Amino acid sequence: MKTAKGILLWAILFAMVFPLLWMLRVSLLPPDSALNLTDLLAGSWAFITYIDIFSGGNMLRFFLNSAFVGLTVTLGNILFCFMTGYALSRYRFIGKKFWFYSVIFVLMIPTHIIIIPLYLLIFKMGMYDTFWALILPFLVNPIGIFLVKQYIDTLPNSMEEAARIDGAGEFRILFRIILPLCRPALAVLAIQVFLTNWNSFLFPFILTSSESVRTLPVALALYQGHQAIDWPHLMAGSSLAVIPVLLVFLVFQRHIVSGITAGAIKQ
Amino acid sequence: MKSRAIYGHLFSAPWIITFALFWLYPLAYSLYLGFTDYRLMLPDYNWVGLENFRNLMHDSDFLSALKNTFIFVLGTIPLTTVISLLFALLLEKNFRGRTLFRSAYFMPSITSMVVIALIFTNLYSRGGYLYLLADMLGLSPPPNGFLLSSKTALYTIMAMDVWMSVGYYMLLFLAGLKSIPKELYEAAEVAGAGAMRKFLSITLPLLKPVALFIIVINTIKSFQVFIEIFVMTKGNYGTSTAVYFIYDSGLSRFQFGYASAAAYILFVIIALFSIAQFKLLKSRPVQ
Repeated sequence: MKTAKGILLWAILFAMVFPLLWMLRVSLLPPDSALNLTDLLAGSWAFITYIDIFSGGNMLRFFLNSAFVGLTVTLGNILFCFMTGYALSRYRFIGKKFWFYSVIFVLMIPTHIIIIPLYLLIFKMGMYDTFWALILPFLVNPIGIFLVKQYIDTLPNSMEEAARIDGAGEFRILFRIILPLCRPALAVLAIQVFLTNWNSFLFPFILTSSESVRTLPVALALYQGHQAIDWPHLMAGSSLAVIPVLLVFLVFQRHIVSGITAGAIKQ
Repeated sequence: MKSRAIYGHLFSAPWIITFALFWLYPLAYSLYLGFTDYRLMLPDYNWVGLENFRNLMHDSDFLSALKNTFIFVLGTIPLTTVISLLFALLLEKNFRGRTLFRSAYFMPSITSMVVIALIFTNLYSRGGYLYLLADMLGLSPPPNGFLLSSKTALYTIMAMDVWMSVGYYMLLFLAGLKSIPKELYEAAEVAGAGAMRKFLSITLPLLKPVALFIIVINTIKSFQVFIEIFVMTKGNYGTSTAVYFIYDSGLSRFQFGYASAAAYILFVIIALFSIAQFKLLKSRPVQ
């Protein structure tokens, strides 16, 4: 019984990681290799694909574009989700309930509905095919606000009250007192936003067209248009898209899991 | 208190602006567009009433895209839900190496969908490993590979999707399992309940909220399947889905009005499905 379960667990594990291992192995083959078993197991190991990528060329640019957009959007979300979450948790103001419901509303809405109008809006704002299009609409997100609000709801407000009596302003309270307390929630938020944005395809795809602002997933998806697919290079580019995610995952596993499960259990 | 209200507005301003500009306005705008013949950024366009919706009902491309979307949703969700629950049950108990298995099973779901789709494009193609495996098992795969045949393309994409997402839902089920009080199992054991009885009377009913959550979010997500279709088949071989249709008519052929109408039809379908799932799963009393 024990060994049967063990065999099952390892078999599933193999099925889950095989495609990713395949990707890594193919990325380390010389570009003219056949992708058969002999080459895969006994074939030579070459770093030519990675050397090609890092010696300039477009793939490196797409990687850097993705990193730039991902980091900017993540910073924006840390700041703005935090501010909004705090406001919705602590202040009383007209329309607060409405804005909270707007967060829940956007959380549940299928995004496909805004593909066409967002494209037209971005176009008319003159942001089509610029980094603005990839950043501005995504600087704050409902899941992040929800996460921060729930977290701040659990904090006692005695420290804020004390600070207020001491004459501290609202900005000072927000950034000097509450922000440090929210670090755990903001870490979860940052990782989630970065991973989502790093993997994001649909909006970068429809909101840009030129290579100077193309992100890595878009570049990989469009790469296929070429006649004969150069799998080693394509898989090297893919590895470039996957390796940062795996690193983030290995380092911050706990945060990722708690971020995912937080929403589900609150239901 | 009153004087501080201004800070409430100020601090939530980033969200208020984003919500109004990038969500509320597009939502209203696309509803309006659905009733017009706006296309190709032409400066003048007309209100055409329900014409787009009527035409869509007779558009065989749209209808087959809808049909494929339903096949995708109804085919993947039961499989994904059951398999992810099984994975969670397998990995619930504490044993050495549990974290390794959990991480490995979860890994595909944080990997870029584009990359996964590219890898499987190769694995499913003629001579790819999954093709060879199917051949070895005597399943006689289509001669040009799984993705170049309308008999298999959609189903193999669905299989990939299940493979990719079970790890994610497994984590949600694991969190659900963890929240079940251990005392319940102890009490059941005292009362002489077997493993099966405990599973049916305690685990399953108490997992219902998590299961409902999983099914609802997976439904919303699966109705919008697009990336894998775009990367793997470009909607050919009977794989066009509703969002692929919206993309194709809206952003390849620039029929903004027509595509917006299609988007709203899908929107209503998703809303009805979600509401129905809530009603169905909530109404059954917990035993």
